[in-house]
Amino acid sequence: MTAAGRRFTPEFLQWFGLFGAALTWSAQLVLGFGVAVARCGAANAVLGVDVRAWQLSLLGVGVVLVVLAEAAALETLWETRAVQYDDAAPDGRRHFFAVAAVLGNLLFLVAIVLGGVAAVVHEPPCQPA
Amino acid sequence: MAATVTEPGLERVRRLETIWDEPHGVLGWLTTTDHKRIGLLYFFTTLVFFGAGGVEALLMRTQLSQANEKVLSPETYDQLMTMHGVTMIFLFVIPMTIGAFGNYLVPLMIGARDMAFPRMNALSYWLFLFSGVFIYVGLFMHAAPNAGWFNYVPLALKPYNPGRNIDFYALGLIFNSVSSTAAAINFIVTIFKLRAPGMSMNRMPLFIFAMLAVSLSLIFALPSLTTDLVFLELQRNAGFHFFDVAHGGSPLLWQHLFWLFGHPEVYIIILPAMGIATSIIPTFAKRKMVAFPLVALAELLVAFIGFGVWAHHMFATGLPTIQLVFFAAASMMVVIPSSIQIYAWTITVNLGRPDFRAPLMFIGGFIAFFVLGGLSGIMFAAIPFDQATTDTYFVVAHFHFIIFGAAVFPILGGMYYWFPKVTGRMYHEGVAKASFWLAFVGTALTFFPMHMLGLLGMTRRIYTYPNGMGWGAYNLSETIGAFILTAGLLMIFANLAYSRFRGPAAGPDPFGGGTLEWSTTSPPPHYNFPVIPVVRSAYPNWDREDREADRARLRRGELVFDEGHETPAATVVDAVPDEVLEMPSESPWPLVLSVCTAGLFVMLLVRHYVVAGVFALLALLVLAAWHWKEPEEE
Amino acid sequence: MNSFAYRAEPRLARPNGWWGIAVFVATEATLFGTLVGTYFFLRFDSAKWPPPGVPEPKLTLPIVLTGVLVATSIPVQLSVRAASRGRLGAARAALLLAAVVQAGYLAMQLHLFVHDSHEFPPSGSAYSSIYFTMLGAHDLHVLVGILLSLFILLRTASGLTEYRLTGLRATAFYWHFVNALAIAVVLTQLSPRL
Repeated sequence: MTAAGRRFTPEFLQWFGLFGAALTWSAQLVLGFGVAVARCGAANAVLGVDVRAWQLSLLGVGVVLVVLAEAAALETLWETRAVQYDDAAPDGRRHFFAVAAVLGNLLFLVAIVLGGVAAVVHEPPCQPA
Repeated sequence: MAATVTEPGLERVRRLETIWDEPHGVLGWLTTTDHKRIGLLYFFTTLVFFGAGGVEALLMRTQLSQANEKVLSPETYDQLMTMHGVTMIFLFVIPMTIGAFGNYLVPLMIGARDMAFPRMNALSYWLFLFSGVFIYVGLFMHAAPNAGWFNYVPLALKPYNPGRNIDFYALGLIFNSVSSTAAAINFIVTIFKLRAPGMSMNRMPLFIFAMLAVSLSLIFALPSLTTDLVFLELQRNAGFHFFDVAHGGSPLLWQHLFWLFGHPEVYIIILPAMGIATSIIPTFAKRKMVAFPLVALAELLVAFIGFGVWAHHMFATGLPTIQLVFFAAASMMVVIPSSIQIYAWTITVNLGRPDFRAPLMFIGGFIAFFVLGGLSGIMFAAIPFDQATTDTYFVVAHFHFIIFGAAVFPILGGMYYWFPKVTGRMYHEGVAKASFWLAFVGTALTFFPMHMLGLLGMTRRIYTYPNGMGWGAYNLSETIGAFILTAGLLMIFANLAYSRFRGPAAGPDPFGGGTLEWSTTSPPPHYNFPVIPVVRSAYPNWDREDREADRARLRRGELVFDEGHETPAATVVDAVPDEVLEMPSESPWPLVLSVCTAGLFVMLLVRHYVVAGVFALLALLVLAAWHWKEPEEE
Repeated sequence: MNSFAYRAEPRLARPNGWWGIAVFVATEATLFGTLVGTYFFLRFDSAKWPPPGVPEPKLTLPIVLTGVLVATSIPVQLSVRAASRGRLGAARAALLLAAVVQAGYLAMQLHLFVHDSHEFPPSGSAYSSIYFTMLGAHDLHVLVGILLSLFILLRTASGLTEYRLTGLRATAFYWHFVNALAIAVVLTQLSPRL
C-alpha cells in the first residue's frame, strides 16, 4: 500500500474514489444505449454493429474501473479512520468524501452489472419491449 | 445581541447599516440586489402562480366529479390541464424552492453577505416574472398550451395545432429556462466560493448540499429541453424536419430530449424538499442528522443517477428491450439514495427528543407521502408493470403523491419554520397544527383513490368519462378531497398573514436551530451578519463558544468587513480564507434587461423577426452597460 | 484560528467570474451534446445518410476552416499571458489579431451557410435540419465570442484593472471552449465521410 500511496496522492485517491464509478456508469449508459440504438436502427445494414461484443466490453471495463474506484475510496477511508466526518480539513473532508464514496460506488457497481448483463444476454437484440 | 455590543462594535454596526442600506419604496424593490428581498419577491409571485394552478386544478376536479359533466369543453379542459402542469412545475414549485427558499437561505446558511452575482440574482427574478406573464397571456387569449405539459409530437406540430398555443409553450419555457440557468450558475458559484471560513465541504449544511445538487441538475438538464423546444419551433414555423418520419425524423426524438430534461426535473422538484426536511428534523429532534455523510451523498446521488433513467417514461413506446434495460437498472438504483434518506430521517427523530410542532408535523406528512409515492414509483421500474399502467390514473396518483405530498408539504412546513426568521414574529401553533391535518386529509383523499382508478382502467388526460365504469364514486371523493385540501392551504396562509402583523415577537432562534441563519437577528439585517462567523462543525449554531468568539471579534473589528459593500471569498473545497470581494449594490439593469428579453420573446411569438433583432441588440447594449461599472479596487 | 489572512495577491482560488463562465460553458457544452446526440440518433435511424438528393459533406474546406479557428486559441492565450504580466499593449494586439481572424472565419461560415441552404434546404430532410441547426448554433457561439473580445478590447482601451483581467481570462476560457466545440461539430458533420 505504501507504493500506491507514493504513486497516488491522497487527494487523487479521494477524488477518484468519489467520481470514478459515477463517471464509469455514465459512460457505460451513454455508450451502451448508443450502441443499442445503432444496432436496432435502419443504419445497421451499413454499420453492422456487434452489439454483444460492445456490451460485454463495456461491462468488463466498467466493473474493473468501479472496483478500482472503490479500492481508492476504501484506502482513503482507512487512512482517515481516526477522524470524524466534520473534523477540520483536509482529513475530516477526506473522511467525509470516503464514507460517501464507499457506499455510492456499490450502487454504481450494481447498476452497471444489472444493465450490462441484461444487455448481453438479451436475444434477439431488437425485439420491442 | 445589542445589549452586549460595546461602543466600537456599535460604530461598526452603524457603518454596516449605512453601507448596506437600500432605497425605500417601490424604487428600492425594483432595483434591489439583496438576496432576501429577491427571495421575498419570488415568494409572493410564486404564490400567485400557485393560486392560478390551484384554480385550474379545482376546475378540472369539478369537471371530473361526475360522469358526463359539462362544466368545461374538451378544448378548455386541455388548456387548463396543460397550464396546471406547466404552472405548478415551472412557475410554482421550482421558483418557490430555489428562488424563494434558496435565495433567502443560502447566503445566510453559509455565513455570507450576499450571493456571488447579486445583480444576476435580480435578473433571474424579473426574467421569471415576465416568462410567467408571457405564458399566461396565452391563457387569457384562450390560446394556452394544450398538448399536455410534456407536449408530445405530432400533436404539438402545426398540422394538429396550427394556432399560437404551442408557440406560447415553447417560447415561454425557453424564456423561463434563461432565468433558471442564471439562478443555477449563481447558486453554484456562491456555494463554491462564499462559504464562511472553516466551512469546508464536509461541514456544509444538508440544505446546501440539496441546493448544490439542484443547481448542477438544472445546468445539465435544461439544455436538453431548450434543444427540443428550438427544434419544435423550427419545425412549426420554419419548415424544418426533426419529428416526422416521412422526412427522416422521429417522434421519439421529442420524447428522448424531453425526458432527458424531464426526469432530472422531477429530482429538481424533490431535492429542495429533502433539503428542507433535513433542516427541520435536527432542529425539532434536537440532535444531529444520523449518517450525515450518507444523507449528503444521497442528495447528490439522486440528482446524478436521475440523469440515467429518462427512458423509463418511454417503456410503452415499443423501443427494443435491449435499449431499455439500462434505464430499468438505473431506475431501481435511484430508489436507494432516497431510501437512505428516509431511514436517516426517521432514525434521527426516533433517537432524538422530538418536539412535534407544526414544521415537524409537515415533515411527518411528507415522509408518509414520499414513502407511498416512492413505492408506486419503483413499481414502474419493472417494464411489464409499467406497460400495464402507463397513461392511467395510477401514474397520476404516483406523481401527485410525490409532487404534492412530498414536494409541497416541506414547503408548507418550511414556511412555518422560517416564518419567525423572516418576519421576526411567531405563527399561531394551534391553527398551524389544524391546518396540517386539513391539508394532510385533503391530500390523501384527493390523490389516494387515483391508484384504484388507474388499476380500474381510467386513463389520463380525459375531460370526462361515461357512466357505468365504477369510477364515479372515486372521482367524487377526489373532488371533495381537493376542496378540503384547499381549505387547509387557505388556513395556512391566513395564519401566516395574520401572524405577520399580530404575532408575538420571535427572537433570533425560537426553535434552537443548528445552522447559521439562526445566529443572526430576526429578520436579518441587510448585511446578514455583523461579523462573518467562523465554522468548526456541521451545526455551527450549536457551538456556543464559537458564536461567543464571533461577538468578541466585533469589538476587535476582525472579520467585520465594514470598509465597503464587502463579503469574503474562500477556497472551493476547504473554505480557506482567500480574498475580500466588493459586491454590487442596487441597479436598474436587471429589470431593464428583462424588459428587453421579454420584448425579444414577444416579437419571436408574433414572428416580427426584425424587431426581435432590435430587442436582442438592445439587450446586448444593456449587458455592456451593466458590466461597465467595476468594483472599487484597493 | 487567531487571525484570518484575507489577501488580495496572490489569490488562492479562481475568481467568481471564472467560475461563472466555467459553469456557463458546462451548460452550453451540454447543449451541443444534445445536438450531437440528435445527429447520431437520426443517422442511426436512416438507411442512407445523407438521404438521396443531398450531397455528401465536403472534407477539405471545413477541416481547413476549423483549423484556422482553433489556431486562434494561441493568440487568445498569449493575450492572457501578456496581460497577467502587465503588458497590456501586447495583450490587446494579440486579442485583436485573433478577433480579426475569427471574424473572417465567421464571414466565410455565413457565406457557406447561405450557399448550402439553397443547395439542400432544411425543409427538405431531417439531415439538413440538424446540419443547419448545429452549424447555426456553432456560428452563434462564435459571434458571441467575437462580441466578448470586442468588449474587452473596448474596456482595456483605458487601461487594465483586476476586473478587466478577469474578464479577459473568462473570454479566453470561452474561446477555448468554442474552438473545442468546433472540432466536435466538424467531426460530427463529416462523420459520413470518415
